[in-house]
Amino acid sequence: MRIFIQHIFLFIFVFQATAQLSDFTHISFEKADEIALEYKDETLHNLPDLVYKLTSQLDTDVERFRAIFKWVCSSIANDYNLYKRNKRNRYRYRNDSVKLNAWNTKFQKIVFKQLLRNRSTICTGYAYLVKELANLADIECEMIHGYGRTSTINLKKLDSPNHSWNAVKLNGKWYLCDPTWASGNPNPETYHFEFDFNDGFFLAEPKIFAVNHHPIDKKWFLIEGNTPSFQDFMQAPIIYNKAYSYFSDHNYPQKMHNAIKRNDPLNFTLQLQKEVDTEDVNLIIENSFRERKVHPKQVSIQDKSLSIDYKFEYSGFYDVHLYIKDDLISTYTVEVTR
Amino acid sequence: MKTQVTFTQKIWYVTILLVAIFAFNPAYGQSTSQTRTIKGTVSDLKGPLEGANVVLKGENQGTVTNAKGEFTFPVALKTGDVLVISFLGYEMIEYKIRENTNFVKAVLSDEVVEFMGAVNSNKRYKSKRKN
Repeated sequence: MRIFIQHIFLFIFVFQATAQLSDFTHISFEKADEIALEYKDETLHNLPDLVYKLTSQLDTDVERFRAIFKWVCSSIANDYNLYKRNKRNRYRYRNDSVKLNAWNTKFQKIVFKQLLRNRSTICTGYAYLVKELANLADIECEMIHGYGRTSTINLKKLDSPNHSWNAVKLNGKWYLCDPTWASGNPNPETYHFEFDFNDGFFLAEPKIFAVNHHPIDKKWFLIEGNTPSFQDFMQAPIIYNKAYSYFSDHNYPQKMHNAIKRNDPLNFTLQLQKEVDTEDVNLIIENSFRERKVHPKQVSIQDKSLSIDYKFEYSGFYDVHLYIKDDLISTYTVEVTR
Repeated sequence: MKTQVTFTQKIWYVTILLVAIFAFNPAYGQSTSQTRTIKGTVSDLKGPLEGANVVLKGENQGTVTNAKGEFTFPVALKTGDVLVISFLGYEMIEYKIRENTNFVKAVLSDEVVEFMGAVNSNKRYKSKRKN
């Protein structure tokens, strides 16, 4: 009997320890996505009914959560004006906690009204909805608050939390999702929101996620061992949406701004999630006068690790962009001296 | 001496058996007389809430409150059923139907959420240069 119990324990623990993100690769989300799109025009007036419509035909929690996530990302628009209004007031009242609290209370009412009326919101609204809908489907889900970095966020002024996302527990393990960034982007010129679902932000790889997401509470990195410090995060290179489709981690250069001597190699190392042909790896190197596309001579892919060594022949100040095919992955600046 | 089982005795055995079966049947224990129509109101600290969702937990059966915050649950409920009462922006509550419950008075409290938003961007970074 004792041996039997020991085996049961062993079985349970070994199973948990080997649980991977890739556990879900055998599940197709086609049906969940179809359902989400079928009910795309539903309103938020009856959340329990919406959850029933989205989840009742699906068998697993991961599919049910997928239907909810996909629905939120395809039905809720990002409201740029709402974002700007909040940002302005939060900045204005940053040193006056009474006024800031009053604004938060007022703004909360505005946000919920906008959600019901126009189905548009800002990050926390996305994260809130995903959490509420998942909880109604009996799936454990939390809102995570922290810092987010993109190419258009003023990198020097990021002094208070500016972003929210989700953690979800599936089969006993926590995963990360960013519904706001998965839903699409504002048009760079008009700021009009354009839906463009990005799968990379659904059950994202925690290491690449940590490059531009920094939770206030460290445990939500979901990384064992060392986690990036706030300084590491602020100095990290900029990664773009497509980085999440190709890579699971970004190792080198660790910083956005780099200084190097002429003809010394600068190393780029990233961990791949899927097969990439070395032919498709390109750099675009930009200085004040021109930009040129370079196919680096030294590119290697070994055990899913992509490594590039590039030597700058002339001194100067460059913006260096990494591309896979036509997909923008990351940006660095490099100062090359003699 | 051989005992004779009379017809009357047989009837008695069968009757006792039937009573035993029904008395110990768990389904019979939940008397149908206990299900009843539940009415109620949903409000927040300021007053009645229109459009709040009232759902029977674990079932797709529910209703929405009217302009006065009132609802009548569409199916009869029994003791032990749980109603989930929710509304966007408020903490969701679970209300258990007790033996003497005929009217549900639910008061929802605001969910405190601090709203923030970082807009995504796929715009390529460009250094600001002096010249």
